[in-house]
Amino acid sequence: MISKTKKYLVYGWVLFLFWSCSDDDAASPKDIYAFEKPAHFPDATYTFENNPITKEGFELGKKLFFDPILSRDKSVSCNNCHQQSRAFADSPLHPTSIGVDNRVGIRNAPPLANLAFMQEFFWDGGVTHLDFVPINAIESDVEMDETLVNVVKKLNEHDEYPLLFEKAFGVKEITSPFMLHAISQFTAMMVSAGSRYDKYVLEGTALSNEEMAGMKLFEKKCATCHSGELFSDFSYRNNGLNDSFGDLGRGRITEDEADHGKFRVPSLRNAELTAPYMHNARFLTLEEVLDHYDGGMVDSPTLDPLFKDGDQVVGISLTTEEKTSIIAFIKTLTDRDFIAEPKFRNND
Amino acid sequence: MKNINLLAMLSLLAILWSCGDDDDAKPAEFGTFQVYFDNKVGADDITRRDNGSTEYDFETSTGEKFNLSLLGYYVSKITLEGPNGEYFQDEMKASASEAKGYYHVLEGESASQNIKLEQVPAGTYNKITFAIGVEEDGVLEGAAGGVLDPADGAWFWNWNAGYIGFALEGTAENSGQEYVDWGGGRETLENTFAIHIGGWKDVADNENFINNIKTITLDFGTTVKVGPDLSPLAHLVTDAMKVLDGAAIDFSNTFSVHAPKAGKPFAEQLPQVFSVHHVHQSTSGHD
Repeated sequence: MISKTKKYLVYGWVLFLFWSCSDDDAASPKDIYAFEKPAHFPDATYTFENNPITKEGFELGKKLFFDPILSRDKSVSCNNCHQQSRAFADSPLHPTSIGVDNRVGIRNAPPLANLAFMQEFFWDGGVTHLDFVPINAIESDVEMDETLVNVVKKLNEHDEYPLLFEKAFGVKEITSPFMLHAISQFTAMMVSAGSRYDKYVLEGTALSNEEMAGMKLFEKKCATCHSGELFSDFSYRNNGLNDSFGDLGRGRITEDEADHGKFRVPSLRNAELTAPYMHNARFLTLEEVLDHYDGGMVDSPTLDPLFKDGDQVVGISLTTEEKTSIIAFIKTLTDRDFIAEPKFRNND
Repeated sequence: MKNINLLAMLSLLAILWSCGDDDDAKPAEFGTFQVYFDNKVGADDITRRDNGSTEYDFETSTGEKFNLSLLGYYVSKITLEGPNGEYFQDEMKASASEAKGYYHVLEGESASQNIKLEQVPAGTYNKITFAIGVEEDGVLEGAAGGVLDPADGAWFWNWNAGYIGFALEGTAENSGQEYVDWGGGRETLENTFAIHIGGWKDVADNENFINNIKTITLDFGTTVKVGPDLSPLAHLVTDAMKVLDGAAIDFSNTFSVHAPKAGKPFAEQLPQVFSVHHVHQSTSGHD
């Protein structure tokens, strides 16, 4: 009997040995709160090590995303300008963002997808970490017109939030970094990689002849800037919308005249759903976008040299047929699963 | 039976060994080191005036009369060095719950001006190095708490996200600032000025993208000893006049500095702004 006990003790030690030094693997393979990098995507840039995603943190971030408490008069939530049915872009009825007191913003709200893979945010790239993104919307006087200080105060005085933050982060008092981490947990999880294009890349599911032709044309005519699996090189370029710049774009951040009128090359994933297009919402349809590249561009000192041949603005010449094919390809980047995903849906 | 015992012993040994930190080579003794930031304008102490106050306490070398309502800066990445290879590196950790190794020094808040470094290895020290501002590695950690919490007094820039490293605000007789009513109770008073030095990004191929963070190294001119019963203090002086004089400020056209490029001429002065007043062995604090 004694020897048996000792034996178990020994086995226990050995087991303990293996257990004590091993990592905690994901509890179940289908953990919907685990961040998964799609196989064909680049590595994530988000600092998950500082803010590991949990069910409680994600659900709290979602609640905040849909809660107008973030705005001065509790009238505007993140969701106002970032709607799931539009791949988290704004409705075409709001070409530029509408904030509190019906104030009109100056830029088109970009879609939210694959944010965990991006280095810089907004049309001008002024923000370099996903955590800091909501501060701009909260404190912009044409968006939520609130202060971060007051948001934190309102959350601490709220009936539900203090307990939710304690459950998610183990904190007794809500502070802004935990609020920003919660929102990042929700937005970093917005991975869109379930389009027909992705199924073609990952599983070899066939695309139509026209879509394939469009892909070839896209690679030749568009992929210099809209490159990689995120369909953007995330550079800042002037694509000939204007010859003078009320909105300096990247130039406001770099304070460099050579960057006046440059804006970030957007990802084209879900572009079918995210009209209108460009930072100033100039174009209502993808056809209009391609017509712009084919003959609609205007010259200025910072126009991207890709669109020029010497002094001549040449843009991207495209036949009507080619435009149709390219648009057919762009539409294969639409991720219906993403816009229908229940975990992103408001359940309050 | 004996074998089992042996196995158990071995396992136990393995556990202790496999999970333990490598903690050899740590000196046995530590002490504390205090750094006191004494803010001055030239040789004068600072009395913070209300915004718009016309009591001008100071004058630049070009005769610009001014006072200060706010003076502060972030100190980070402190290291101490000694002549025999002694080295102390203050621990840096920006997380949601704290901002370890980041200090927000504010004139008039004496607790913020006294930085106490703990766990300094015993030895002799003659040199201190620190950065003024929050460098890239701190910003890229994401949302942080403590003195980096933007809802709790941190000096954060939203639009070009990052932290202001050094700031001066006050009123100048010659300031070109006109009265502005921003609405909602926010206003900018006539003749005030605000110089905010920020910007931390280095971007290849863009010389205009300015990193205004400066690393300052100061020699004590002597040595001090740290040990379990030896807690020396370095009394540093921050001379705000050097920021303004060095950049040859003309308040009539420079009164609102809120972007990296405009802050650059002021940031360039920072290496001259800090000096060692004296160091001493005494454990008593300074105010």
